[in-house]
Amino acid sequence: MFAYIVRRLFLMLVTLFGISVIIFVLLRVVPGNIVDILFDAAGFVDPADKANLERELGLSQPIVIQYLHWIGGLLHGDLGYSYVSEKPALEEILPRIPITARLAGLALLFSASIGIPLGVISAVHQGSKLDYALRVVSLSGLSLPSFWLGLLVLMASVSLFGTMPIFNPNPKTWLEAITIYAVPAMAVGFRSAALTMRITRSSMLEILRQDYIRTARAKGASEASVNYHHALKNAVLPVITVIGIEAAFLIGGLIVTETVFNIPGIARFLVEALRWRDYPIVQNLVMFIAVVVVVVNFIVDMLYAAIDPRIRFGD
Amino acid sequence: MATINFDSELRRAGANATGGWGRLAFLAQRHVLGTVGLIIMLLFVLTAIFADLISRYDPLTVDSAHRLAPPSMLHWFGTDSFGRDVWSRIIHGARISLAVGIGSTTLGATLGVIVGLASGYLSGWVDLVFQRVTDILQSLPLLVLALVMTAALGPSLPNVILAIAIPLIPTVARVIRANTLALREQPFVEAAKSIGMSEMRIALRHVLPNTIAPLIVLATAQLGSTILTEASLSFLGLGIPEPYPSWGRMLSESAAEYVRTAPWLVIFPGIAISLAVFGTNLFGDALRDILDPRQRG
Amino acid sequence: MRSVQALAVAVLSVLTISDVSRAAEPKSGGIFRIYHRDSPGSASIHEGATYSVNIPFMPIFNNLVIFDQHIAQNSASTIRPELAESWAWSGDNKTLTFKLRKDVKWHDGKPFTAADVKCTFDMLMGKSQQKFRQNPRKSWYDQVEEVTTNGDYEASFKLKRPQPALLSLLASGYSPVYPCHVSPAEMRTKPIGTGPFKFVEFKANESIKLTKNPDYFKKGLPYLDGIEFTIIPNRSTAILGFVSGKFDMTFPTEVSIPLLKDVKSQDPTAVCVVEPNNVSTNIIINSTAPPFNNLDIRRALALALDRKAFIQIMFEGQGDIGGTMEPAPDGLWAMPKDMLESIPGYGPDVEKNREEARKLMQKAGYGPDKHLQIKVSTRNIAVYRDPAIILIDQIKSIYIDAELDVVDTAQWFPKIARKDYSLGLNLTGNAVDEPDQSFYENYACGSERNYTNYCNKDIEKLFDQQSEETNLDKRKKLVWEIDKKLQEDVARPIIFHARTGTCWKPYVKNVTIMSNSSYNGYRYEDVWLDK
Repeated sequence: MFAYIVRRLFLMLVTLFGISVIIFVLLRVVPGNIVDILFDAAGFVDPADKANLERELGLSQPIVIQYLHWIGGLLHGDLGYSYVSEKPALEEILPRIPITARLAGLALLFSASIGIPLGVISAVHQGSKLDYALRVVSLSGLSLPSFWLGLLVLMASVSLFGTMPIFNPNPKTWLEAITIYAVPAMAVGFRSAALTMRITRSSMLEILRQDYIRTARAKGASEASVNYHHALKNAVLPVITVIGIEAAFLIGGLIVTETVFNIPGIARFLVEALRWRDYPIVQNLVMFIAVVVVVVNFIVDMLYAAIDPRIRFGD
Repeated sequence: MATINFDSELRRAGANATGGWGRLAFLAQRHVLGTVGLIIMLLFVLTAIFADLISRYDPLTVDSAHRLAPPSMLHWFGTDSFGRDVWSRIIHGARISLAVGIGSTTLGATLGVIVGLASGYLSGWVDLVFQRVTDILQSLPLLVLALVMTAALGPSLPNVILAIAIPLIPTVARVIRANTLALREQPFVEAAKSIGMSEMRIALRHVLPNTIAPLIVLATAQLGSTILTEASLSFLGLGIPEPYPSWGRMLSESAAEYVRTAPWLVIFPGIAISLAVFGTNLFGDALRDILDPRQRG
Repeated sequence: MRSVQALAVAVLSVLTISDVSRAAEPKSGGIFRIYHRDSPGSASIHEGATYSVNIPFMPIFNNLVIFDQHIAQNSASTIRPELAESWAWSGDNKTLTFKLRKDVKWHDGKPFTAADVKCTFDMLMGKSQQKFRQNPRKSWYDQVEEVTTNGDYEASFKLKRPQPALLSLLASGYSPVYPCHVSPAEMRTKPIGTGPFKFVEFKANESIKLTKNPDYFKKGLPYLDGIEFTIIPNRSTAILGFVSGKFDMTFPTEVSIPLLKDVKSQDPTAVCVVEPNNVSTNIIINSTAPPFNNLDIRRALALALDRKAFIQIMFEGQGDIGGTMEPAPDGLWAMPKDMLESIPGYGPDVEKNREEARKLMQKAGYGPDKHLQIKVSTRNIAVYRDPAIILIDQIKSIYIDAELDVVDTAQWFPKIARKDYSLGLNLTGNAVDEPDQSFYENYACGSERNYTNYCNKDIEKLFDQQSEETNLDKRKKLVWEIDKKLQEDVARPIIFHARTGTCWKPYVKNVTIMSNSSYNGYRYEDVWLDK
């Protein structure tokens, strides 16, 4: 077990190293850099000023040196400076993380609280009309683009209440805080809810076929008690699975949702920074996202193994 | 395991019909949702093929006299800010979504199969390297990778297809690799080896055909998500550029300006995306039930 | 009779104006909340070239002189003193001397002196040790030989030749005075000025906050406690925010006509104005390579434009047709209507023009069976893309099949500079309604923003001639002549001049939207909220 964990940790480092190289090279393949964009507003590019600025930002160095410079800094906790705001990249990224984390957390909470019960109901009533209806609903959840859902929510909010949630970094009331975060979280979490429901349903069906459930039934436990008590205990697994799968997917959903709802989290920041070719921000943000995804997957695997004894450590 | 014998499958399910149509009808009855999905998908494909016949106007023609017209008999889905007919644009948009969906799924699946086969069959250092590459691709959210790639390559149809295809590789490669590993131990592969067949030939003649079923299941499941990714990219302004009527692009334009003044510009493209994805998802689900009974839920 | 009417109108308007000013005593206090259309690259006005920078940061600064903030039409006669108490031209019209105020302090407490004026303009002319990252308006000061000081409170601009327009350029929102003791880098992130508001914070993609400067040299001003800009790139969201009362004003000159109608239907009390913003939408033509090295095809293109249709689609009819200079009545230098309509392609009969264009195309070897295939390049921004789509549709009528080539911001100017395009759709914003600014920047041989490399030495002589002319009427005639020639040469066909809307809540007082510039009217020192 210990050897396995060490091996996994080593592979994680290899993966992260690979990502850092890929993202670094990809960014430099992109035609045009921050200097072109800064000069763009002026309507012309002055070659001398451009060369000066590229030198000042270290963009004229060989790409390998630039890479080593970045990684070297990263290992010391120095993320460099944003090209646009000229503030430390860390200062730009850190305050945005809690905003996105809150959204993601709420979205997962929402998806679990909707997806698990519906999944259980669907499985218990397998083959019934209700099951059919729920399956259609969950499939539609996987089909709606989250930005469209967000737009519909905004349209509905305006026509019903005459107003809509606009992000405010310091909400004054609890109600405001809830509307600011909960509405976008639901828009983005709808997809995860659908996924949770599907996974819960199939694992419930599996469990219901298991011997110990049959035993419980034979012992005379009531139908409801069997279904909900015994089976639901095992619903923890699907939730963990969903978190594992969704860690990566959620970021995608958050990018568009933060754009629609104008939330200044890291997901939208990434798109903006990409537009400005703000390499220090993009590189470090992508690395941050990759670390989150890799670590979440690692933890999910560990939890899986801890909860479900049937799973063995191995390749 | 992965070979499917339709006849025995059907008999097991209790079908008596032996004729082709009868079998189809039986399958359709048994998988109502899947049939609905198939019909949606077919409609979607037909729309794309016959777009020029179905659309009532040229999707690119500007008409200053009929700007932002609400839906009417003249313009079923209304017109956009240039007076272009939204119905015609959505019909033509099916081509783009389909091109991106099928293009990137095919490309991603092909590359994934190559990586997966090589990784699973050759093992050793090839496997090690390919495994790490899939790890890397899987640790980056699909949209993030596609975003950076379209920014790097520039917005155009082939580039968008490529940008969406690459993140698909690991998902396919994983499944193919697992299947290949299992198949390698099968007696018929051993037998082929003993009569002196080359490794390459075994991989292509025996291993590959036996991974087709899971591959189809996987590809259908991915089709919907590629269409969604294209829509998201276009929505963020990094997908297929104007004036091509991409659904995501149509939404991004209207989202910026016309959410209130011309809601039909938000509603119809959104319905088009959702319906297309919904159809492929329904069909993909049924296909999985039929072809991959292990995963049947 | 006419003059009596005019007098009556004048008297009436004077009455209304004084009525308004008497209507209520300004109240102090309150935060003025505006949404911002995008996140500006920096806070330094001198290093910016978009009003995304001007609008939020202009309240931090003062100029030497400034256009009257409550007269919509900027002109030489509406220039008011700001950091300067007075100004005077020397007898040979080659030296402009400013007497400065003595009671002005920078936001960090240091006193303002003539040295700051010299520092600012030396840096703009590229003469100082410290450099801007970029200096987009360097060419404004091409005629300035040097800036000198006489003691702490007098500064003079010595010119190479007379240039009466200099004063107008100095009165623009683009010409604040920067402090000597603060580096350009700090000015980009934490600007320090002398103005009515102090910088608090700028969070990229989120917000910009300014607070009242209690030590402002104009006693009793500003009225507001602060100004807050919330950055919302999505226009629909932003407008909804305004309608639902989360903002007191929209981002200035950013509301399209359909959205303006929506605002009025949602909130009938909102005050909305639609004004020209002195931004022209034009076509840049690569005349160095086929097919547009053929003058006939260039002429055909100019003839094929249906300018009214553009304006109908883009602004529901509320836009203006003109040459290089902002059209009348808001523009000061516009050609008279009959002169304008005598230019090929400007005549009212579009079909007749296009018939002529088709003949020119046939002469060049194209026709119904042989279409010309080209690309129209433009930037991936709606105000660029939208007219390009209309342009492509219109030139179908003269046998040109064009495809839209959308170019990323980072690649646009490098691509244009490489001459890697055939037709480009471009926007040209003019900070000041002033021929010196427009002509030299866009049409002078070798100028950085002369993308098409149009170069005509005869016209260039006329540029200098009008620039030195001190008699306004004579200068106007020269300007008209130049503008007409530029259009006839198809130097850079002007399609239309935009108009855009601004809305605010009725309790917002003393906001004036300029009618011939969108860069100059945002000092906001006497804006107040009647709440």
